Amino acid sequence: MEGLFFYAFSGFAVIGALALVAFKNPVSSAMSMVASFLGLAALFISLNAYFVGIIQILVYAGAIMVLFVFIIMLLDLKAEERKTKYNPLFLVGGVFIPLVFLIQLCGILPHVPNAEPEPLHLKESARYFYDQEKEASKEEQSEIHKSLSKGDLPDVNLIGLTMFGHKGDNETIKTPGYNFPLQIVGVLLLVATVGVVALSLRKKTTGEPEPGDPDSRPEP
Amino acid sequence: MPAYWLEAIVVALGLLLLLMEAFSNSKSKELIRVVGIGGLIFLLVPFYFAVAPPADNAELARFYVYDRPAIFFKLLALLTTILVLFMAYDFRKTLNRFTEGPDTEHGTGEYYALPVFACAGMMWMASARDLVSIFVALELVTITFYILVAFMNRQVGSLEAGVKFLILGALSTGFLVYGIAWIYGITHTTNLETISQLLAANSSNPDLHDGISANPIPLLFGLSLILLSLAFKIGAVPMHLWIPDVYQGAPTPTTAFLSVGSKAAGFIVTLRILDPFFSSDITRSQTTIVVLALAGLTILVGNLTAIPQTNFKRLLAYSSIAHAGFILLAIAAWHTGDDDTLSSYQAVAFYLGTYLLITIGAFFVLVVVHNSEGSDNISAFDGLGQRNSLLALCATILLAAMAGLPLTAGFYGKFFAFQLAIESAHTNQILWWGIALGFVGVAAGFYYYLKVVRAIYWRAAPKDDLIAIPRISRYAIISLTLATVILGFWPEPILWLIGA
Repeated sequence: MEGLFFYAFSGFAVIGALALVAFKNPVSSAMSMVASFLGLAALFISLNAYFVGIIQILVYAGAIMVLFVFIIMLLDLKAEERKTKYNPLFLVGGVFIPLVFLIQLCGILPHVPNAEPEPLHLKESARYFYDQEKEASKEEQSEIHKSLSKGDLPDVNLIGLTMFGHKGDNETIKTPGYNFPLQIVGVLLLVATVGVVALSLRKKTTGEPEPGDPDSRPEP
Repeated sequence: MPAYWLEAIVVALGLLLLLMEAFSNSKSKELIRVVGIGGLIFLLVPFYFAVAPPADNAELARFYVYDRPAIFFKLLALLTTILVLFMAYDFRKTLNRFTEGPDTEHGTGEYYALPVFACAGMMWMASARDLVSIFVALELVTITFYILVAFMNRQVGSLEAGVKFLILGALSTGFLVYGIAWIYGITHTTNLETISQLLAANSSNPDLHDGISANPIPLLFGLSLILLSLAFKIGAVPMHLWIPDVYQGAPTPTTAFLSVGSKAAGFIVTLRILDPFFSSDITRSQTTIVVLALAGLTILVGNLTAIPQTNFKRLLAYSSIAHAGFILLAIAAWHTGDDDTLSSYQAVAFYLGTYLLITIGAFFVLVVVHNSEGSDNISAFDGLGQRNSLLALCATILLAAMAGLPLTAGFYGKFFAFQLAIESAHTNQILWWGIALGFVGVAAGFYYYLKVVRAIYWRAAPKDDLIAIPRISRYAIISLTLATVILGFWPEPILWLIGA
């Protein structure tokens, strides 16, 4: 079953990466890059690396891709749509880079045992880290502490709890999260999007900017 | 109604305006202007009935405060936005000309919707009590202003101003985040209340494991970085270089908004951040020196460079730097207030309240003169006394108030700032330097403000046709001038608002 998921998601990621190169339209390319990142994130999660997987989605697929699309829209990149002339250097580059990668793979693959990996010992490692924490910390019980004592390794759950606030089993007051600043950030992003559109909207009448009044121009 | 609903309503109004813009007729944006102004004026009603949010909401208690300064600065933000939208109403011809074309309003609707979002940001800034909420609210305001400054995208001056503002603004944001990181690294909190308690605990017990009282340098380093970034927002030396260029290039309503709204919001945040550092014995003397140096330099640079200016908008830019200097002097003379003296919060609030009336009034005059003469130069004011005596009289009163002439509201603003400085100078001798520089600045101010008055009455008019004042501008200029004069005799209304 796990193998099936592995092949499905890696196929997804590879198709996304191929589409990224194949599309002529920069926005389509950017969107296929998001698909590729999503596949990659799923692979991370299947490796028990929840945090890296979520960050992959939040930071790469979310923030960085939004930035890409912003810039594509802002600069109105259409140059890629034109056919470029064939250049033999492309072929050299296209052969050279995969070759380097292939050599690296050949160096590593003979040393990897071809067997099912051992299952992770989550309970034991949680116990181990709990003991370490206990020695090191002088402060009151942190959230990480609590989840370690239950035998869970801290994972993305904690990010959500920190972000939106939480109430423990024996607590009467909810520990505050960052809901309020998050709402303000939402308004901020909306304003930024509106601004990009308002400033870069293609005007019906085309023409160079006017110098305007000679005295309204800042002095150099 | 809990106070945090106010900002939610303002944001909802902004969203409504954006939707209306999307579906509106591209020939006229009249409806957006009217709904925006009307909505904000209507908001003053629920504002009167707003109460502090319930204390059992831990998250709001951490990020949101609704005390007297917060109320006053929220009111300031609302009034500024309303007046700026009125000004934008009369500025629309110039705006249309430099966006799409003189005969269509296509693509200008956002100019009337975005100030509403900036208003929400300023109201959040007035209530922010945690470095995290301060940061996000501040960025909301700044990013809105990047767009508003560069809005006239067919005019090179506006674009140039936008780029300058963006680059320097990004730099100052970097300083702010870096400073917050330092403070968090030392105190393990971003909450100003907790920082205050931590400093108090450290000064009563110097052996606490934080070691802040043994070595406060890292903490002060973080504070200086934050102060640098706030100096950008309030337009204080050494981060003042953007002000003249951006003020001159930006559309005039944006300039007015920047010089009043953004500055006022910057000052409430400055007060809130400096409060714990002034209240603690460990950091008080160093903080005083740093803020006093900022104040002295700002007063000197702002006033002395204003003297040779020939462009009225640029003159107002330097004057706004100078005003920031006087307000910083009131902050450097930190005082918690007693029966005879205002607290620093109150003195700053009073100064900004009068500054709002005077500056917006002056910008209204500028919009009228600009619409008629097509120029922002002081020479455009030549012979204004013969061409429109009412406008000339109002302009004279507003300029005199800016200089701080007695019997105008501007006098009381400066008076309270100096009174506070002299009161604190008895215990902290170093403040006398700031007071001395302040007097030099006031003297220089009389010269350059009255230079414009000289142009109005003593210079011959190049043309003799009368200058017509649009209806909204006429009402706004007359009521702002009247308020300036009345508050010059009778400052009680503002004093009552700030709780003195």
